[in-house]
Amino acid sequence: MLRAAEPRLAPLFQEETAQSGVTSVYAGDWQYMVGGGAAAFDCNGDHFPDLALAGGEGKASLFINKSKRGGSLQFDRVESGIELNGVTGFYPLDIDGDGTMDLVVLRVGEAVLMRGLGECRFERANEAWHFDGGDAWWTSFSATWEKGSRWPTLALGAYIDPKSGDNPWGSCTENRLFRPNEQGNGFATPLPLKPSYCALSMLFTDWNRSGTPSLRISNDREYYEGGQEQLWHVSRGETPRLYTDAEGWKFLKIWGMGIASIVFPNETYPSYFLTSMSDNKLQVLKSGPSDAVPTPVYKDVAYDRGAVAYRPYTGSDLKPSTAWHAQFEDVNNDGLFDLFIAKGNVDRMPDFAALDPNNLLLQRPNGTFQEVGDVAGIASFAVARGAALADFNLDGKIDLVVVNRRTPAKLWRNVTTEMGHFIALRLQTDGPNRDAIGAWIEVKHGDQVIRREISSGGGHAGGVNGFWHFGLGNAKSADIRVIWQDGTLGPWQTVAADQFYGLRPDKEPLALLR
Amino acid sequence: MVSSRFCALNITLGKFFCVLALLMMGFVTPAAATSAEDVLHKWFSLSLSLIRHTPTYTPPVASRGLAYLGVTAYEAVASGSSKLQSLGRQLTGLNALPVREVGQSYDEAVVLDVALAGVMRELFGNTGPSGQQAISRLEDELKKAALSGGSTAETLARSEAYGRALAKQIGDWADGDGGATIENMGFPWTYELTKGPEHWVPTNPLARQQQVPLLPKWGKNRPFAMPAGTSCPLPPPHPYSEDPSSAFYKEAYETYQTAKTLTPEQKTIAFFWADDAMASPTPAGHWVSIVLQIAEHDHLSLEQQVDALARLGVAMADAFIGCWHEKYRYDLIRPITYIRRVISPDWQPFILTPPFPEYPSGHSTQSGAAATVLAAIFGDPYPFSDRTRERDGAVPRSFNGFIDAAKEAGISRLYGGIHFRAAIERGYEQGKCIGGYATSLKTWR
Repeated sequence: MLRAAEPRLAPLFQEETAQSGVTSVYAGDWQYMVGGGAAAFDCNGDHFPDLALAGGEGKASLFINKSKRGGSLQFDRVESGIELNGVTGFYPLDIDGDGTMDLVVLRVGEAVLMRGLGECRFERANEAWHFDGGDAWWTSFSATWEKGSRWPTLALGAYIDPKSGDNPWGSCTENRLFRPNEQGNGFATPLPLKPSYCALSMLFTDWNRSGTPSLRISNDREYYEGGQEQLWHVSRGETPRLYTDAEGWKFLKIWGMGIASIVFPNETYPSYFLTSMSDNKLQVLKSGPSDAVPTPVYKDVAYDRGAVAYRPYTGSDLKPSTAWHAQFEDVNNDGLFDLFIAKGNVDRMPDFAALDPNNLLLQRPNGTFQEVGDVAGIASFAVARGAALADFNLDGKIDLVVVNRRTPAKLWRNVTTEMGHFIALRLQTDGPNRDAIGAWIEVKHGDQVIRREISSGGGHAGGVNGFWHFGLGNAKSADIRVIWQDGTLGPWQTVAADQFYGLRPDKEPLALLR
Repeated sequence: MVSSRFCALNITLGKFFCVLALLMMGFVTPAAATSAEDVLHKWFSLSLSLIRHTPTYTPPVASRGLAYLGVTAYEAVASGSSKLQSLGRQLTGLNALPVREVGQSYDEAVVLDVALAGVMRELFGNTGPSGQQAISRLEDELKKAALSGGSTAETLARSEAYGRALAKQIGDWADGDGGATIENMGFPWTYELTKGPEHWVPTNPLARQQQVPLLPKWGKNRPFAMPAGTSCPLPPPHPYSEDPSSAFYKEAYETYQTAKTLTPEQKTIAFFWADDAMASPTPAGHWVSIVLQIAEHDHLSLEQQVDALARLGVAMADAFIGCWHEKYRYDLIRPITYIRRVISPDWQPFILTPPFPEYPSGHSTQSGAAATVLAAIFGDPYPFSDRTRERDGAVPRSFNGFIDAAKEAGISRLYGGIHFRAAIERGYEQGKCIGGYATSLKTWR
């Protein structure tokens, strides 16, 4: 099997910002030191991922993807209705289940739900969906569909009290959980998720494969007092409650900025990469007896596996790094998820690297990681925040957009020539949860099974929704299976490599692009 | 916005004049006048927040900063007081400080504010964006308040100039002490561990920076009141041994056993005094917080407050220098390393083991020094209640006096599982020795 051994399979990216048509800056001072998210999703039904980029105190932007398959990256900025100011981040989600992607807009001020109207146009839907967007410094988001619900449950995370004046420490404001209302036409009065500790990333994730996702929250220790990382029980009809030390959840304080999840090959449970300042964390569930009910006890293996990424790996600056968005994707199609980390100083903090290159860590077959950011050509020294990895030109290679603070966003096209095969899978249902948030995809080829949890949330202030990409190495076909969000186990189905498929329950995989 | 632009454009004017002009133009809303006591408390309170939120502010660095702030506050007040005398030429390397113009009036709040603001800018120039914003906002708030106090423009200008002169001299003095520049958060870029089973090795394999020890040269810094880092030496720790009958083993076993059988009260004490970097104002900030609480509760005069803050700061900074000198002289292994190697491989201390050698205990040394100074100033017993960790969920604790509190701070390290008893008891004695130098400073006329 083709594997990412040493530089042979190092990917190669080509920066195409200048000709791409994407011109966006995450602007602003203190209130925009965090955020700066990117959302990649298809808003006009052509399967090409379009882009929504946060603008901070400037206007947010939507860029329609005009790329040709396999061609250079081309986007057009359009007036879409999302051009709000104060935007810190975006998450794509078909909230009302009408088959058109909507957007969750995080802002300094009121959070806004934008209903997709098709053709990349959006309209405000807070009132129509009975969503109280509050007035806070919104910085994180995740969504799940609780069992039997026709509407999603939304978690929104808030940061410092913007009115905290000269003492912002300890002023973290309330995170909120929006559940569907009884009328079935939107959301009920939100529940507080207290205590709240300045959440910079949230992720509903079925960490123990129980069928009911829990809510992981990564918090910024800089501003909370008495806080820590959090994991919440969120079960339908029950008040959310924190996992406790007695249940195994261990006290951890980090400058939590972003969450990325991965299931390592042939493993069952997700592991989590948590971005921070200096040392980052890669948490794997501690192994126990195979028949035991898992407890949320994690071991940090970032250092052992070469994923600690605590300071620049290239350039002259050796001070500790500051990490924000993180995302696992297979950038060289060798069948192993790799890790991208966006890096950038908070704001001229002299004890942290000013020249802090983004990371691209290739996963090796033994589960360790190898830095290739410089040889891959993505080692930008701009002050990064959010990012999105997606196949923008639908050539089977994962591309990259990075949002930078005070300087323009950058795009890179993956131009690697020696790549493994791939498949890209889009889950589609007719129910309210159109994109099957909460489902699991399993891809089997050779002696390995790769699993992926379909989620909405995590990262830093932005996420992707659309095709889910799997590298296959040398395999020219793969067996795939979906465990749908209601727990229904789909059959194993064989698909040919190098295709984009739509997957529906009880249907054969359908090639969507020819 | 108008005010900030106007003041930014008028950098040749003093900031007070700038704000004064804006007041007259109606752009700035007058604030209530403030007292020198308010100024003192606001800047010290902010310093405790910034210590917690500035990554280089590990406990030794925090002690240094609080010493310079204490001396600054003291000199700002003493220079206008008939009761206090300057510490110039009493503290190592500190020349005679500027004197006020005879017969001229000064606004005491402005002198203190400008001097403290200047030194805060020096000390916390590396803090994050929220810290920088907090400093700026407090500067603006106090300046506006001062302008509402009824002093003439001439008095305000004179007071500002004097405060600046004080801050400048103290800032220049601080620059040369060996502790002004902290690289890589205090962890040396290169460091060779001392060979031998008795010596320190990294205790947190997950923290990449902590594979070398913190601030190994801190013991060579210029002290404040004691002559040198070597002025209060300690005898060697118990000889390293893995023999169960040895003193070393027995003390290690005590730490091991204590951590295994901690009572709720012992856990409370360990947490209350943990005073970790980036999670608290550190040990030195904890003691400053105690003094600020006592000042408020007991209505101390301004002179009493600055006397206490200056001598306490000096004692604690010297304590960290003396303690660090001995730590790296003996370079002793931490309990977590020894116990896992010799007694129980899975043993876990109650609190995190800090990344530097064990002997003596830093908290014990500096708490001993703090208690020595405060007992000399206020007497002992001197009952007080300590709310320092209240916002972190800790219940306030009451003490009969400073020595009582210092002893508890020391033994908390045994409960926490990060020290052997000898480091605690001898550390306390070292602190008493070091605190004696600060106690001997002549402050009252």
